Amino acid sequence: MKINSRKQNDIIIFDIEGEIRRSDISDVTLHQLVKDQLDSGNKKILLNFDKVEFIDSFGVGEILASYISTHNLGGQLKIAKISQKLYLVFQVTMLTKVLDIHDNEEIALTAFLEQ
Amino acid sequence: MTKNTLHKTLLRLVDIKPGEIPNALLMFFYFFLITCSVYIIKPVKISNFLESLNAEHLPFAYLITAILIGFVVSLNTKLLHAMKRNVYISLSLVFFISNIVLFWFFFHWEWNWLSMIYWVWCDIFTITTVTQFWILVNDIYHPRQARRLIGFLVSGGLLGGIAGSLLARFFAQVLGTTDLLLICPFLLFPCILIVSILHRQTQDPLDDKKRKTTSTEASKTGYIESFGIIKKSRYLLILSAIMTTAIIITTMVDFQFNSVIELALVDQDERTAFLGTFFTGLLVFSYLVHVFLTNRILKNFGMRLALSIAPLFLLTASIAILFIPASFFLIWAIAIKGGEKSLAHSLNQSVRELLYIPIAPEIKYKAKVFIDMFVNKFAKGIAASILLVCIFIFHFSLEHISLIVIGFSLLWIFLNRWITREYVGNVKRNLKIKWQDADKFISETVDIDMTKLVFDTLQSKDRSSVLYAMNLFDLIKREKMSPELSSIIAHKSDQIQACAMDSLLELDGELLLPKDDDTLYREDLSTQIQEIMSQDVYQQVLKEQLDKIVDEKGEEGEVSRMEAAKVLGMMESSSPVASELNKLLKDKSPDVLRYAIESAGRLKRREFVPRLIAHLSTPRVDSISSKALVAYGNKITGILKDYLSDPDVNLQTRRAIPDILEQVGTQRATDLLASELKKKENDVETEIIEALYKMRTRYPQIQFPQKPVFEKTIQIIKRCYFVLLEMHDLMTDQRKDNLVSDMEKNLARSLKHIFELLSLVYTPDDIIKAYQNICTGTKKSIDYSIELLDNILQREVKEVLLPLIDDISFEDRVRKCKKMIKPLEKVKFS
Repeated sequence: MKINSRKQNDIIIFDIEGEIRRSDISDVTLHQLVKDQLDSGNKKILLNFDKVEFIDSFGVGEILASYISTHNLGGQLKIAKISQKLYLVFQVTMLTKVLDIHDNEEIALTAFLEQ
Repeated sequence: MTKNTLHKTLLRLVDIKPGEIPNALLMFFYFFLITCSVYIIKPVKISNFLESLNAEHLPFAYLITAILIGFVVSLNTKLLHAMKRNVYISLSLVFFISNIVLFWFFFHWEWNWLSMIYWVWCDIFTITTVTQFWILVNDIYHPRQARRLIGFLVSGGLLGGIAGSLLARFFAQVLGTTDLLLICPFLLFPCILIVSILHRQTQDPLDDKKRKTTSTEASKTGYIESFGIIKKSRYLLILSAIMTTAIIITTMVDFQFNSVIELALVDQDERTAFLGTFFTGLLVFSYLVHVFLTNRILKNFGMRLALSIAPLFLLTASIAILFIPASFFLIWAIAIKGGEKSLAHSLNQSVRELLYIPIAPEIKYKAKVFIDMFVNKFAKGIAASILLVCIFIFHFSLEHISLIVIGFSLLWIFLNRWITREYVGNVKRNLKIKWQDADKFISETVDIDMTKLVFDTLQSKDRSSVLYAMNLFDLIKREKMSPELSSIIAHKSDQIQACAMDSLLELDGELLLPKDDDTLYREDLSTQIQEIMSQDVYQQVLKEQLDKIVDEKGEEGEVSRMEAAKVLGMMESSSPVASELNKLLKDKSPDVLRYAIESAGRLKRREFVPRLIAHLSTPRVDSISSKALVAYGNKITGILKDYLSDPDVNLQTRRAIPDILEQVGTQRATDLLASELKKKENDVETEIIEALYKMRTRYPQIQFPQKPVFEKTIQIIKRCYFVLLEMHDLMTDQRKDNLVSDMEKNLARSLKHIFELLSLVYTPDDIIKAYQNICTGTKKSIDYSIELLDNILQREVKEVLLPLIDDISFEDRVRKCKKMIKPLEKVKFS
């Protein structure tokens, strides 16, 4: 898994690439990166899953942990470009009700602005 | 005597209907006259033979009879088929009468070997006339009717025998042995008249046509074909083997008896008079056994014991001769011959006729003639051959011959046990299932849960994509996503998010369900979802969300609560957020309730049980609550039982519980339900019995406690008796027609419950067949049903049940029930 971050206005965008799975845990996790951004005062986070090939339950746990951390600090976390399969998993687990999921990055960014 | 008085008088002797009286009386007198003649001819036969020849020549007489009878049977069969029944019987009687006169004439010539010819003729006369009588019985009566009247008809034969023996006893020394024969023509002429009247009274064009067809077919059949029919049926083969064994024993005993008589009584007329006395005593004893014991034994102990009495007696008596001195041989001979003949004339005769009941009429007729005439004499031939070898080659004494009788008695006992089992099987084969159990049929052909889930999925598609996804996931998990189903579910998908789900079904580009390995996919998806749900972060996020959702109002709030209720059911039972379901189980929306109840059934936490039980009386969710409780299985059967037996609990709730216990389908659930049968008054009795019945048909391994089942059966039978009596009282009042109609329905319901209960302790298939055939069957199938029940039910039950189902008039039923109320009170089960 490879995670690059960039900033657009006050929004931190994480571009995630490859597979997010328990067996591939690197030193720095997605949640840790999000927390670092939150600690730095960036409270608007967008997770871009456009190049994510696979995500397991550990990955979902990372997303949720990131969501909690952001939410507890009054921040916003949005997700863009998740695969249909992951969307189904989110729906079945009712996470579509919790997480703010968008079809693409642009729509997500617009949503940040609207809020 | 008026018809009514005659009926009342006869009712004391026999279970007869008014319309049956004329024929029954004619048949009674016919058999009386035939046997009266036989018992005059018989002492003359023995006495003359022992006088002219001696006992040592008896095996020759047996053998010649056995050989000749084959030809007589063949002629008899041909004539029976070629001629009208009444003409044939009348002509054969005329033939026998002329023979008697001829024998009387030639006996005066004192030709020794004439007694051998007379012996053979006498056997032919006896077997032909008696068989003709039984053929008439089979022609006139159907099985159940015959079963009721057989006792009465056999009485006629026994009384005729007594009369004949008395005539021989008193006139032997007055007229002389030979002149006794002249009495017989006066007895046989009235028989011709009776046959003619019976023919006129029972003439039925249909029957004639049927008989003619059978006759045409039958006339083409000879011994080989008759033997072929018997060979094909195991039942008929055993029946033939029984007959053979019994006849061999009878012949051996007859030889022993005659040998002893020859030595003990020298004067011919004195011997004839003694034989007359012996046969009188024998027949009186037979009659007493028949009147006082036959029906009682059959009714109380069944066919198996009735069949065993004769061989057991002969076995004991034959062992006895090995231990008594020669001076006691006359007493022993009288005892064994008397016992053997008494049983043959009473119990054995009735049972043998009953054994023919389950045989199809067209086979019965051919087999009966063959067994009664050919097998009978074939057995006699075997017996004669054995005796000839034993006497002339091995010089056997009477004691040695008893050893042979002992061997054959043991074989007879074995064959009796075998035929009893086959008899019940044959009766069963005559009964067919009339309709299938609808519940069972539906559950076998339709996956109801699956159908409901498809509907839920379709419904949820328009309401919430989340619910849709969840339901779809359920479907995928169940591995039931056929292409057809996928197409139905995806139809009219107009929501973007829902369309995303459709892609799972290969309908919108991306393929998420790999064709070649969708099982792996399902497992992967399922595992992933479970893993997500088990994470603390997920629980934490969801808890916050659920707290908000539970208080949401409006239609959107309702959908959210439905989603929440659904997702909670997908978690681990131990999940801390699962307790949130308690709130949703109180929701006012039936849709939310439905999902919450389903989830409770999945999580199976005890804390939800009281709420689920309470919902058993909530109309829109009662069935889902019931299903959810079923999912808990054995662990809540105790709680359910407490609710079931608590009279303060809502009646509707209590009524739903037996069905839940039935679906749980465990031994414990059965025991708890069955324990409720012990209560005399129970508002949920119907539901309990129906649930137990379903258990019996669905879970064959389950054991049912017999005592409470029998006690409840008797209790319901008793209730039926009182309903019948009450109906009888009300029937005269036309204003109470509605009440009577309700009572009839009540009776029908109770009868169903009786059979449902009986199926718990007997083979359900037998009981169901019997019940269905009693409800909708033909007269014949009702007969077979009752016959089957008569053979399989235990005495205490059948005695009180048969008056309710027997094919009798309402008045007779009421009368029988009145009579049975007292015995019913005394019925006890251990």
